[in-house]
Formats: sequence, C-alpha cells, structure tokens
Amino acid sequence: MEDELQRSKSEALARLDAIDQAADLEEFRVKYLGRKGLFSGLMKRLGQVDPTERPRLGQLANSVKAEVEKAFDGRRQTLADSAGRERDRNLDLSLPGRTEPLGRLHPVTQIMDEVCGIFEGLGFAVAEGPDIETDFYNFEALNIPPHHPARDMHDTFYFSESVLLRTHTSPMQIRAMENKKPPLRMIAPGKVYRCDSDITHTPMFHQVEGFLVDEKVSFADLKGILSIFIARMFDEKTPIRFRPSFFPFTEPSAEVDIGCVICGGSGCRVCKHTGWLEILGSGMIDPEVFKKIGYDPELYTGFAFGIGIERIAMLKYGINDIRLYYENDLRFLRQF
Amino acid sequence: MKFTVNWLKKYIDFDLSNRQLADRLTMAGLEVDCVEDLYPGLDALRVARIAKVQPHPNADRLSLCEVDDGEGIRRVVCGAPNVRAGMLTALAVPGTVMPGGFKIKPAKIRGEASEGMLCSANELGISADKAGIMDLPTDLAPGQSLVEALGLADTLIEVDLTPNRPDCASVIGTAREVGGFVGKRVKHPGVADLPELRDNDLPFSVEVKDSGACPRYSARMIKGVKIAPSPWWLQRFLLAVGLRPINNVVDVTNFVMLEYGQPLHAFDFAKLAGGRIIVRRAGIGEKTETLDGVERQLDEEMLLICDAERPVAVAGVMGGGNSEVSDDTADILLESACFDPVSIRRTSRRLNLATDSSYRFERGVDPQGTVRALERAVGLIVELAGGAAVPGGVDLKEGLRPVVPIELRVRRCNDLLGLRLSAEQIGAYLEAIEIATDIVDSQTLKVTPPGFRVDLEREVDLFEEVARLVGYNEIPTTLPHVPLSFADRDPARELRREVASIMTAQGYNEAINYSFVSERHYDMLGLDPAHPARHQIKLLNPLAEDQSVMRTMLLPGILENLRRNVNHQRPDIRLFEVGKVFHPTGAELPDEEVHMVAVISGRRNPDSPLIHFGEAECDFFDIKACADNLLTELRRCEVEMTAPAEPPEYVGSSPYLALGSGDLHLGGLGRLSADCLKAFGIKTDVYFLEVSLTGLAKTPARPKSFQPLSRYPSVNWDLAMLVPEDVAAGAITAAVKNCGEKILADAELVDIFRGGNIEDGYKSVAITVTYRDENKTLEDETVQKAHQKIIDFIGTRFGGKLREA
Repeated sequence: MEDELQRSKSEALARLDAIDQAADLEEFRVKYLGRKGLFSGLMKRLGQVDPTERPRLGQLANSVKAEVEKAFDGRRQTLADSAGRERDRNLDLSLPGRTEPLGRLHPVTQIMDEVCGIFEGLGFAVAEGPDIETDFYNFEALNIPPHHPARDMHDTFYFSESVLLRTHTSPMQIRAMENKKPPLRMIAPGKVYRCDSDITHTPMFHQVEGFLVDEKVSFADLKGILSIFIARMFDEKTPIRFRPSFFPFTEPSAEVDIGCVICGGSGCRVCKHTGWLEILGSGMIDPEVFKKIGYDPELYTGFAFGIGIERIAMLKYGINDIRLYYENDLRFLRQF
Repeated sequence: MKFTVNWLKKYIDFDLSNRQLADRLTMAGLEVDCVEDLYPGLDALRVARIAKVQPHPNADRLSLCEVDDGEGIRRVVCGAPNVRAGMLTALAVPGTVMPGGFKIKPAKIRGEASEGMLCSANELGISADKAGIMDLPTDLAPGQSLVEALGLADTLIEVDLTPNRPDCASVIGTAREVGGFVGKRVKHPGVADLPELRDNDLPFSVEVKDSGACPRYSARMIKGVKIAPSPWWLQRFLLAVGLRPINNVVDVTNFVMLEYGQPLHAFDFAKLAGGRIIVRRAGIGEKTETLDGVERQLDEEMLLICDAERPVAVAGVMGGGNSEVSDDTADILLESACFDPVSIRRTSRRLNLATDSSYRFERGVDPQGTVRALERAVGLIVELAGGAAVPGGVDLKEGLRPVVPIELRVRRCNDLLGLRLSAEQIGAYLEAIEIATDIVDSQTLKVTPPGFRVDLEREVDLFEEVARLVGYNEIPTTLPHVPLSFADRDPARELRREVASIMTAQGYNEAINYSFVSERHYDMLGLDPAHPARHQIKLLNPLAEDQSVMRTMLLPGILENLRRNVNHQRPDIRLFEVGKVFHPTGAELPDEEVHMVAVISGRRNPDSPLIHFGEAECDFFDIKACADNLLTELRRCEVEMTAPAEPPEYVGSSPYLALGSGDLHLGGLGRLSADCLKAFGIKTDVYFLEVSLTGLAKTPARPKSFQPLSRYPSVNWDLAMLVPEDVAAGAITAAVKNCGEKILADAELVDIFRGGNIEDGYKSVAITVTYRDENKTLEDETVQKAHQKIIDFIGTRFGGKLREA
C-alpha cells in the first residue's frame, strides 16, 4: 500500500509535469483528484489494511494527496500565467484607446472664460446684461447723444428708434452703476452686434467690458490692470503700448497695442507692417457718464475697457477668417 | 484724412523718416492707416518734346511723331488725339515697365517703327485723365526725369481720424501736431495780417436768418477771373489725395479746405439772383438740385444757402447746380462759413449725402478760422485765375460763442493721470500745440483753448492733452488700492457653464450661432403662423433676409450647422448650443431667456475608434441619456419627462417626450420628423433636446446631502412578469421603487421578451430587484416575503402575472 501510494504520487507528479495545456488539467484532476479518482480509490482501500498500520498509512495518503493537489494548483497557476503572458504578448498595443467621445467648448467660449478668469482672479464681479438695449443705455448715458459723429463708429441694428441690439457691452457700466455705489469693479461678458460683415467683421461678436470705480483711481492704475491682463493672456514678455484714441465715454481714452504675435514685431500683413496689434480699447470714465448716473465726478474716478474676444482668439490661435466662428464646422470646433 | 509728406513739409520742418513720422503720429493719437510711395515705377519716364507730327500712312487715327528725348530724335507712333508739334509730354523708352506691368519694346505699328510710347496721365497712374497724352508745362526740358520734373516723388500718409479731432482733417492741423513732437511751430502760408472785413459799398449782401445753425458767415467777391485748369503743382496735391482737379477756382477751394480744414464754396456771382445770399432753413416741401445732378427733397430742419429767389446750396453739404462755377464764370462769390455740427450731420444723414465738407462741419470747424481760410483762397484765386478781389467783405458772426478759459487744477490732473507735473511743465506741454496757458499759481492754470480745438471744452479734455503730450507710455504703471470685497457671480452664467461642462463631458461640441435668424426657419419647422415661436422681434435694418428676426428657438440654427457638417463629410455629430432667445412682451425691452439645444446624429460614438465601437447608430435613448445626465447632474429631481398629447410640429409621429415640472414647460426631446429633416435638407435621422435653462433655474435643485453607507450586504433577486403590451416597462420599475417596501433598495430592468410561448398581447419584463436591510444581514425568509409582495404588487397594479420558468 505504501509503495502504491509512493508510486501513484510519482506517476501523478510526472504526468502533471508533462501537462502543457490548461485543457488537459481537468482530465488529470478527474483521473487523480476527482471523487472517483485514483487517490479517492486509494483512500477507500485504507479500510482494508491492517488496523495498526491504518493511522500511519492514512497520514501518508493524506500527505501524498495534499502534495499532488499542491502540485496541481501550482501547475494550473503556471499554465494560467503563461496563457496570460501569451495573451499579453499578442496584444496589439498600437490599437487606439477605447475613448468615449469628449466634446469641446467653442473657441470663443474658451477665450471668454480665460479672459473672465483673469479678472475674476483680480476680484472683479461678473454680470451680464440684455442683448437688446435701449438707445439710452447703449448711447445716451455713455455720452453719445443723437447726431454725435461717434455713432458712425457703431453700425447699429435697430428694432425701433429707441430699441436696438447693443453695439458694445458698455451699457452694463451704466446698469451696474445705477444700482450700486463705488467701490465697484466688474466685468460684463456678452454678445454684441454691428451691421458689418466681411473677412474681419461678423454682425455678431463677443466682448468683455470691464470697469473699476473708486476714489483716486488713476490712468496709471488702468495701465497696471491692463498690463496684468495682457501678461496673463499672452506672455509676460509681450510688448505693450498705450496710445491716445477717442471714445465718447472715456477721457483720456487709450487703445492698447501688443507686439505682433505673428511676426514678433518685425512687421507683417496682420499688423499692417507696424509690428503692433490693437488688442483693446480703454480709458478713464468720462465725468459726463458719472453725472448721468448720479455719481459725483469730483469724488470718484474710474477706468473702463472693452476687449474683443474673437480678435484675441484669432491672434492666439492664428485663425484667419472670422466667419469660421459661426459656421460651427466640427473640423474647426474640434481644433481647440 | 490723406496728405503727402512733401505737402506737410510746406508748413513744418522736421527730420524724421516716413516710418518715424507715422509712428509718432500714431502715438499722438493720429492713427496712421497706411504709408505708401506715390506713383511707384515711374523712374524710367522722361520728359520729351514732340518735334514733328505726321499722319501715319496706314492708319487714320495714328500719328508718326519725331520726339526729342534730350539725347536725340526718335520715332514714336502715337494714337492720342491731342498730339501736336512743340508739346512736352511723357515718354516711356523701350525697356520701361509701365505701372500695369506692361513692358515697352521697339515695335512696328501698322508697318511703321516705334521706339517708345507717349503716355497719358492715366497710363502712368497719375490721374484718371485718359483723353490724351500728358500736356506738360512748357518750362520743362526734354530728357528730364518725369518724376523730378513733376515732383512726383512723394509719400502718401492716411490717418484714421477719431471724431474728436476735426482740426487734424487738414494738413496744417496735422503739421501742428508734428510741431508738438518736434518742438517747432507751423509756418502759415499766405497773408500774415488778416484784414477786418467791412461791408461798405459791396455789390452783394448776406443775411443769416438762423445764427444758431450758422454762427459765422464770411464772404468775399472776386471779379474778372478766367476759369482754366489749375497749374500742375496744385493738381498734383489734389490728385495725390484722390481729388479730381476741376478748374482753378474750384481746385483752390478744395486745396484750402485740405490745407486749413475750412470748407469753402465758390458761387458764380452772375447766377445769384439779386446778388444776395440768405442763410435760412428750408421750407416745407422745398426741393433743390445739388451739383451732382440729384434733386433733393428738403425738410424744415435743413439749412440752405439761398439767393433772392431760390436755394443755391445745401449749407455745408453740397452746392447747387444752379450757381456752380463754369468755364464762362467771370465773377465769383467765395463763402467761408461755420455751421452747427448737429444740423449738418442731420442733413447729411437725411439726404444720405456725405461730402468732404459735411465731414468737417459735422465734427466742428474752427469758428475763428473762416477769414484766414477765405483770405488764403482769395489770394490763390487771384494768383491763378486772375481777376481782382472786391475790397471788403462780409463777416457775420452773431452766433459766435465767446471763448471761455478753462481752469486746470494741477493736483487733479496729476491724480487722474498718476503723474507729478508742475504747473510750468503742464503749461509747456500745452503751449507746444498752440494752446494758450496762464499760470495762476502753482496749483492752477488758466487755459484758453484755440478755436481749432473744438474738442477742448472741459478740464478733463485738457488732462487728456497733457497725457497725450507726456506720452501714454511715459505715464507710470501702478495698481489701484481697492478694498477687498466679495466679487459677485452671475447665476445665469454659472448655470450656463455648468450645463456646458455636462454637455462636453458627454461628447457634445459647443456651437455658437447668430442671434438673428431667417423667418423661413419657422416654416421649415412646420410651425403654424399662430405658433408662439413665430411671435418674433424684427430688425428694421437686417444685413440679409436670413438674419432678419431675433430667434425664439435655438433648434433651427443648430440644424443648419448639422447640415453643413454632413455636407462636409462629418456625418457623426454631437453638437449643442447655449444661447438667448427673444420674446416680445409688450414692454420696451423683450424677454431674454437662455436655452440649450443639443442634437445627435450618425454614429453613436463619434470620434471613438471603430475597432472598439463599430458603426452603431444613435437612437432615441442616446438623446434621452443626455437629458437624464443633465437633470441628474443639475439635481433637478422635480423635472419629469412625459409623452404629451400633442408633440411639436417638427416631431410629428416620431418619438418625443416633453420636459416639464408641474405647469412649467421646459422643452423636450425626440426625433425630428421626416418632413422637417427634408425641409432642412438633412438625410439622416436627427435626435434633439431643447431645454429652457431660465425655466430650469426656477425649479428646485435637490440639495446635496449625505446618506450613510450600508455595512450589510445586499442581495439581488430576479423576477420575470408577463404584462399586457401597453404597460410601460419604465413605469413598472418606477412603481416598484416607490412601492414602500422597506428592504427594497433598487429595481432595474434586465430584459423585455416577446414571442416564444408568450401569449399575444403580452410581453415578459425581467427585473432584478436589490434588497438590503440597513441594520442587519438579510435572511432568505425575509427576502422571500418581500419578493412575493413585489410580485403581487406588479400583478395587481399592472395586470401582470409571474412568468413560469
């Protein structure tokens, strides 16, 4: 019996060693380790042996079976590992990832969020106003009376003599100041409209208006805030210049130019060979505007600025035709 | 405003390159739009004298010319009608490349050799004159370079003037600014001392009936002029800035307008009835013909220049054809006036007639400058057209407002600009551009704005001048000291951003469309004329018919985008837009609501690899997933999806669910009808979702609150129920979840099966039910009881029975 146990063990281990496919393992298990298998048969025969030998042989039979079971488990693990390795080896890692679709925000929204984020970081509140405005908020209150030549700078869409599509986001200055006392610092992002359409103009575009009003706010402060904005929006090293201009609601008024991001300042078609690109309009809020909303212009000063979003996106991304923004071609939208 | 560098140099000395000049002007607030060399490519042209002209033997219209080019005689065939012996003209010798790119070569023309070409001004790009070859002044010499002889080497500069600087709509005004930055003064042309105009014994009279609209009217008369073309030097300046030379008198008025910024008008005196000028408003229904030959309907607010009988000019805008200077004019009356800017602008707008004159008047001309410009023009006309100026003249200035000095506070100026200037420094800056200052004390200046600076009315206007003259870039850069405060956000904007991020996370790309759309879109959607969405606000002046009404829905715009993408071979689409729609309310301003629209079409997983996802097309449940995710993420638990009795017209019988909360209609989702797709030219199925975010914001958001995590395991038990076909499977799970069974944690649909041994009119709905007790591990017996209750519940509620395995 003892010999038979030892022989069976050797035979089983040898057979196990020879198994190189997972499918053969089951056959082995049934033959040796199953309920009607070899070792079960041997166990059953233990009843027939000499009772004095029975404990020793029983112990031996158990240990032999345990040894074979352990070897079986080891073998199964080895074969599973090697099958796994085989699968891994055959895996074509060049296949694309199982990506679910991810959408993108429109480039105008992306830039808008970036611009707003910079000013939010500086503690500016954000508020949006109506797209359809009255002549009062869009023009009159901003010191642009009827028949002012500055109205030529705004090709306006009208619904009636006094109701129009806002031509800039500046009306929000008035709406905000009507409701609050200084100190105020706020930006107003939104859509604006002008009846103009060509390669550089669309009848609708986006602006962010910003303003800051308090006692003793100076032109130097305006330069400071806008310099921070440009350094964040473009690059710390971007050259920047302020140049006199005219807006009826600011005095002094300033256009802000940055060194051409296309040619680096050496002159190209985009910057009309000046090396500079106009990026935003700004100025110290005109005392007439303060008077219109009942602020004391002797006590308060402030600055305002307006940033064209499409233009910034065009410069940052090198987009050459503004009309692309509103065609919503996925080949365009998926680029940003 | 256009001028040339040589013209500018007549009034100011400076030593700057053209580039530097342009930069300095731009930095002074006169933004230079372009700098370009005039008449490029004419270096090879020469002055030549036509020695002899003979008819061409083989062509009636051609002449054979012997031409002295300064070095010898050459033969040139010429087709110009004005060719004559002795005339000086422009010669292009063989090898010359003409402005159009055409290269002159020796040629035989109708059998006769021609060694060059005689040129017209048009061929050389100098003017539009193509009536004949150039007829050059006789004091030139053959062989001279044409560019040198005519002074053609010059540079054109165009400034994009801001409306506040009419003083720079003149070469002298621009020279004054240059003087400011080069530290020199303008040299004025013409008379140094202006005579006072006396109106004794004049052969004409002037009456201003509205001195508010015409604060000043100055006029003089010149007798016996001879109308002729202007000399070349004058024509050259006009041509350079794009004005067409007409005759010596008209050209002088234009030249002086460009020189001083003062528009002038010359009347043919013989055509002025009664020798009178009356400045008055137009009468009701009055008409006049302007010198462009158009009859103008006038209104009572328009200011007219009239003679004793009729209008002879629309004041400040355009002269009348009836009194215009012509070739046989002998006596002229020269007007130099100042008109009210608002009146001129209104008239110019109303007549849709913008001229160089109205441009200047509506921005404001120097009320002090009428006589200076008048004297300059009288001097030039007498010099160029002969005749004699009648002594004296008219200068009515009843409406002229006195010049009021402005007090400038030094501290206020420094505070506003962030500078530390002294009164003396401020004074010196202003004086550099001829603004008179008086230092009252160390803190105060009295500033008298010159007449030409109509924009300087207030102290703050002077601050801008100081800033400009210091140079914006020399002003320090600081940051404002402001108190810390919480910065408010715009809730509508925050919601929009949240929605956009939920949508992009689901693979939708953001689109932005115009707020104005075509009215036709609503026909394409099949909307009844009475449909509320057709109650739109119309633009009075749309750019195009397809941008004529404010949108009341976002769907049409995004369908246009979808078609465009399909047409450009991007058929797999997930697009969304968040934007405003506009509804008239009867109040002055309409209601603006924010909506969101999403569309999906083509492959379910656009931009995902085919090898993993295959070609599966999207269906209703993809757009429903979008709505589910949106509502879940926004925690809008009260918003329900229901099948409405009447789906929208653009859905028809296609699948559709409406979104709403109580009585609040919020939008819907579904598939577009075949008719609607056809109207939009789309050939694939399109599923859409439209939601009013403004409406959604009115529904409560479930607060985020913590639920304890169970420490005990749950068990899943399946069941399959046979229910009548018309029972909605989703209704069963929803009812089960809400049936009140304490240990029920969840119920989820697993399968719906029809056919096999299932009787007609029934379907098998398989549900897996999750049971859990928060306080202990469940025992089979407890679950068994609960499970039986659920089975009974479904049976009673939906007429179902357990399907036997």
